[in-house]
Amino acid sequence: MPPVSIFIVEDELIEAEDIRHTLLEQGYAIAGIARSGETALTALKGILPDLILMDIHLSGTMDGIDTAEQIRALWRIPVIFLTAHADDTTLARAKVTEPYGYILKPFDDREVHSVIEMALYKHRMEEQLKENERIIRVLANAIPDAVMLVDHNRQIIALNDAMAQRIGRDNNWLQSETSLLYDANGDFTSMQSQMDKTLQSRRRVRFEENNGNEWAEISLTPVGEPFDDHVRVLIQYHDITDYKRFEEQLTKEGVSRLEQNMEQFQILNDQIRNPLQAIMGYVNLDCAKYRSHILNQIGIIDSLVDRLDHGWIESEKVRKFLLLHYRNAPEAPGEKTDGEKRVRE
Amino acid sequence: METILLVDDDPAVREIFTLFLENGGFRVLAAKGGAECIELLKSSHPDLILLDLMMEPMDGWETLLAIRRSPATEPVPVLIITGKQPEPEEIVQYGSMIEDFIVKPVDFSTIVMSLHATIEKSHDLTREVFRKVREQGDPEAAYEYLRLLRLVRITRHLMKRFRNRQWADKKVFRAQEERLMELHRKLGFPDRFLQNTSGNDHGVSRSPVVNHRNC
Repeated sequence: MPPVSIFIVEDELIEAEDIRHTLLEQGYAIAGIARSGETALTALKGILPDLILMDIHLSGTMDGIDTAEQIRALWRIPVIFLTAHADDTTLARAKVTEPYGYILKPFDDREVHSVIEMALYKHRMEEQLKENERIIRVLANAIPDAVMLVDHNRQIIALNDAMAQRIGRDNNWLQSETSLLYDANGDFTSMQSQMDKTLQSRRRVRFEENNGNEWAEISLTPVGEPFDDHVRVLIQYHDITDYKRFEEQLTKEGVSRLEQNMEQFQILNDQIRNPLQAIMGYVNLDCAKYRSHILNQIGIIDSLVDRLDHGWIESEKVRKFLLLHYRNAPEAPGEKTDGEKRVRE
Repeated sequence: METILLVDDDPAVREIFTLFLENGGFRVLAAKGGAECIELLKSSHPDLILLDLMMEPMDGWETLLAIRRSPATEPVPVLIITGKQPEPEEIVQYGSMIEDFIVKPVDFSTIVMSLHATIEKSHDLTREVFRKVREQGDPEAAYEYLRLLRLVRITRHLMKRFRNRQWADKKVFRAQEERLMELHRKLGFPDRFLQNTSGNDHGVSRSPVVNHRNC
């Protein structure tokens, strides 16, 4: 593992040399030394140190705080301030640049070491956190579903791009929104009670919502420890419009096709019986020796068709049910109420 | 000589049935569809109409409604002869307008022999109904009796065909039977009308196998 490289920004030559020595003694590598903010910024373009030690009081147009601010805007390199004396105004200014620590001059060798190590550790942790966030964000945006996490007061904790778009907000990751707003389409109207249900039962609640032509399956999943008072809820919108349309089409077409087939089947029975009738008539006209055999065969075919007929009658309940639930066609059997009335009156 | 109007879209069935009917002593008019049947009824007055169900474009039930809608043809008895088994719903809807139904294939000679009786019974019934209307001045009740008598008879026939399987609303049917009996007693119809409510009265067996005795 290469040694930790440190860049020094110090306008006083002796101070700079002193620090350089101390750092080298402690096993760090020196990435470079700059004597003003400007030269530091130029030098840093070519190198990428692990850490920067920055004197607050630099001579020149930029002091250490200005320089640190510029660095923070350009790179993610932790900065530690070196200072002999610090008034409150200077410290307040320095604080804004989120420094990783302060080393007071004259410095103690052990203090330098511990402050640097703390800064490096903190920086690593922050990088790790940022990386985790990035991963989560990539994952969250990779799913087409709109997803967001809200707390028990319905404040948004996090949301993905799809959700941001759905509720018409900028996706500022991890920035808490004031509250969960209900949009103009009434998208969230049914949400309130479902939300309460989820929080009370601590169980996943799922329901479907229809908004114009769109269908969504919404699931609310409680996130957190079972006895935690501040349970969060993960809200997920899953677009099921295509599925719904497909299902609708399938049931509609399926049922009407079934009905069509059944009609065909009835016609088929008619078409079997008519020739049987003709054959029977002709055979009865001529008293040939095969007549009884032919009539027997007709009898067998007829009883088969008869059984089909009974099946048709018995399938009626099923057909009626299907038609009633999946198609509202006026020609559907069972809706001939006019005729029934006429007879019963 | 009694006239039969035969309505069937199958030419073979028309030909063979005409032959049998003419041999049985009837005058036969044949129509190959509902429209032709209605057209023929404008110029002729048959004693009975034999009506097929599955026809295009005007099917048997539509033809039946057209026949019953016209006052001139309203009293003509209609016998359904079909390759398609009537459905319970169809019977509920049209049962009161027909004498009976026969499912093909059937032994024509047996049918033909029973037709005289069918026509006679039908005429007997309508004559009696008209008489009651004249005598008692309650046409509504008399017509209701006529409709119910036919409906109950047809329903019984269908039940028998379905080997008493549960297919119809038994409660409704029982209520119809009770109402029929009530009207029967109230209007004083002769009991012979009730005798043939026990099912198929055409002497037609469902199995054609047993009908070749004249071989």
